[in-house]
Amino acid sequence: MKLSISQRLAAMFAVASFVTLAVLGVAMHGLLKRELGRHQDNELQARWQMYRPFIMRNDEAAYWGHIRSKFDNSLSENSRVRVWVLSDDRRFRYGSELTAEQLRSAVTASFGQVRLPDQQEPFKTYSAMVEARGERPAVRLMVGIDSTPFVETLQSFTVGLVALTIVGALGAAALGYYIAGVGLRPVERLSGEAQALSPGRLSRRLQTDTLAPELSKLADSFNGALARLEAAYQQLEAFNADVAHELRTPLGNLIGQTQVTLSRERSVTELKEALHSNLEDLERLRAIVNDMLFLARADRGERAPNRIEVSIAQEVAHAVEYLEFIFEEAGVRVRIEGDAQASIETSLFRRAVTNLLQNAVQHAPRGAEIVVSVLQQPGAIRVSVRNTGSGIAREHLSRLFDRFYRVDSSRSGSRENHGLGLAIVRAVATMHGGTVFAESDDGATTIGFTVACA
Amino acid sequence: MKVLIVEDEPKTADYLERGLREQGYVVDVARDGLDGKHMALEYEYDVIVLDVMLPGTDGFSVLHALRERKQTPVIMLTARDRVDDRVRGLREGADDYLVKPFSFLELVARLQALTRRSRGQEAMQLRIADLQIDLLARKAWRNGQRLDLTAKEFALLAALARRKGEILSKTTIAELVWDVNFDSDTNVVEVAVKRLRSKLDDPFRPTLLHTVRGMGYVLEVREQSEDA
Ligand SMILES: Nc1ncnc2c1ncn2[C@@H]1O[C@H](COP(=O)(O)OP(=O)(O)O)[C@@H](O)[C@H]1O
Ligand SMILES: [Mg+2]
Repeated sequence: MKLSISQRLAAMFAVASFVTLAVLGVAMHGLLKRELGRHQDNELQARWQMYRPFIMRNDEAAYWGHIRSKFDNSLSENSRVRVWVLSDDRRFRYGSELTAEQLRSAVTASFGQVRLPDQQEPFKTYSAMVEARGERPAVRLMVGIDSTPFVETLQSFTVGLVALTIVGALGAAALGYYIAGVGLRPVERLSGEAQALSPGRLSRRLQTDTLAPELSKLADSFNGALARLEAAYQQLEAFNADVAHELRTPLGNLIGQTQVTLSRERSVTELKEALHSNLEDLERLRAIVNDMLFLARADRGERAPNRIEVSIAQEVAHAVEYLEFIFEEAGVRVRIEGDAQASIETSLFRRAVTNLLQNAVQHAPRGAEIVVSVLQQPGAIRVSVRNTGSGIAREHLSRLFDRFYRVDSSRSGSRENHGLGLAIVRAVATMHGGTVFAESDDGATTIGFTVACA
Repeated sequence: MKVLIVEDEPKTADYLERGLREQGYVVDVARDGLDGKHMALEYEYDVIVLDVMLPGTDGFSVLHALRERKQTPVIMLTARDRVDDRVRGLREGADDYLVKPFSFLELVARLQALTRRSRGQEAMQLRIADLQIDLLARKAWRNGQRLDLTAKEFALLAALARRKGEILSKTTIAELVWDVNFDSDTNVVEVAVKRLRSKLDDPFRPTLLHTVRGMGYVLEVREQSEDA
């Protein structure tokens, strides 16, 4: 079973007050017991002092009967008190007969106790010697008082304390529950607000200005998460629209072309031609879908799985070699500067560099030189591709790496470029813990990415 | 060459069956995992094309059951571009994988690579009409005349000649010639073919290197050239 915060707080309050009250009770109990004990001791000693002169003044056996009646008299009105005079001489004794065992527990110390057969509680005793005088030897005078009232007081006090502790704990629980309820009211309000959030109202945020500092921190982080979610959501929506748009053209071609072809009797050559053309569009669709799947991998936060430690310049050289014919056709040269060692997934890396080179060669004028530089920086390796050419206007630079973003939208129909080249570069960089960058002035454009290194 | 296709999507299974049959394969089709497992274990195949997502028993368990008894080469078809699916497939004994959507030519190329691998050594001298290729010396002649090819041009010619009569997609060519195994929006292959053609076909008859639009390129002798 899961307890609510209020329930938990109530239980904690109860336990805390129970423990406090119990400790307090035990201490009080001990204190009271000691005080009562002292009180008794004082009374015993006082009585002993009171009775002592009775014996002191007497020194004859013959006169002892007088002493007995004096004791009887003084004790008759108070059944709580007993007196014993203990002596080896039978003539000088007083009080009920005591067994040897009763005697031992009473006489070993000045204070002791005696269990009497007709009494429930033992009598507390005080005894001391009264020195010899005349005929009378030294005798032991022992005074006892009944401890029943003492024990009863202590008992009722204990019962009271226990009851108080339990009632106190329950009270604290109830109070705690109520207080927690009041204290948590802002949380309830917050959760009500959070419940009112929906994808349709993504820009709504939780109200934080009226919240307690503890909660406003939580609400702030929640709002932060909402903001990120909103951004991701909007990106996704824009992205879906882009994909739909991008797929619409080839799909439209396919459907239209197929309908036109089938609407009339066609020769085998015409049919073949239509199929070939369809195939081209389909290949384009496949390429887009595959690229999208690849980008989705990076979006999910996947890291490049098969990394090996290699020379970056060598990997760049590999990509350059792949595009060699293209460079020759376009009449441009490529130079690679610098080198560094890094742990990368080579096929991903080459793909990114290929895309950058491909863009550079498309925008570089004939006879130009494309420079790829590899730069070791603290924590990262920077790979950049620079080409001369008309450059990119500032307002496009930040969006260059977005999916399907093209500076010259009229190129969007072209078969080769579907506007995912730089998005893939960014995905590759992300999968290697790096970032992308783009700079451009009138004369030259530099676009590149970094990969993290240990 | 006998192939088993284990694929539940009817359209996919049908075109694969027809296409591979026309490529000269003997084709069996299993339309769910249980059938697939049964057939793969009962009969002998040169290669098995195995879809990962199947009703009944999934591709991995079919592969698992197969590998306990047999070493028949297996190509896995994964619909999701998930690394773990691929890694898992290869770890559990698949010989290759293709991510859907894949091109049919790609599949044929992989199938041939797999069965070739098991067939062993190949010839070092190739001959197509008057074209003669020495793979060891990396030289080629037409009509007795030495062709002046760059290294990459020769690699392209050799790749096509080794698979005489087979259509090679641009992706396959990029992989064979440049060891590039990713899609990229370049027309490197087109440029390379154009260059090779200028040395191989322009001065000679008959034309050997043909373009198959939307599919790729093929090296073969045709009755009458279509794209001349
Ligand atoms: N080196 C460059 N010089 C000028 N413009 C560039 C350069 N590289 C990229 N661009 C611009 O950035 C846009 C996005 O590039 P990319 O993502 O590769 O898409 P694509 O090349 O398919 O159009 C391109 O349309 C192009 O206009
Ligand atoms: Mg591009």
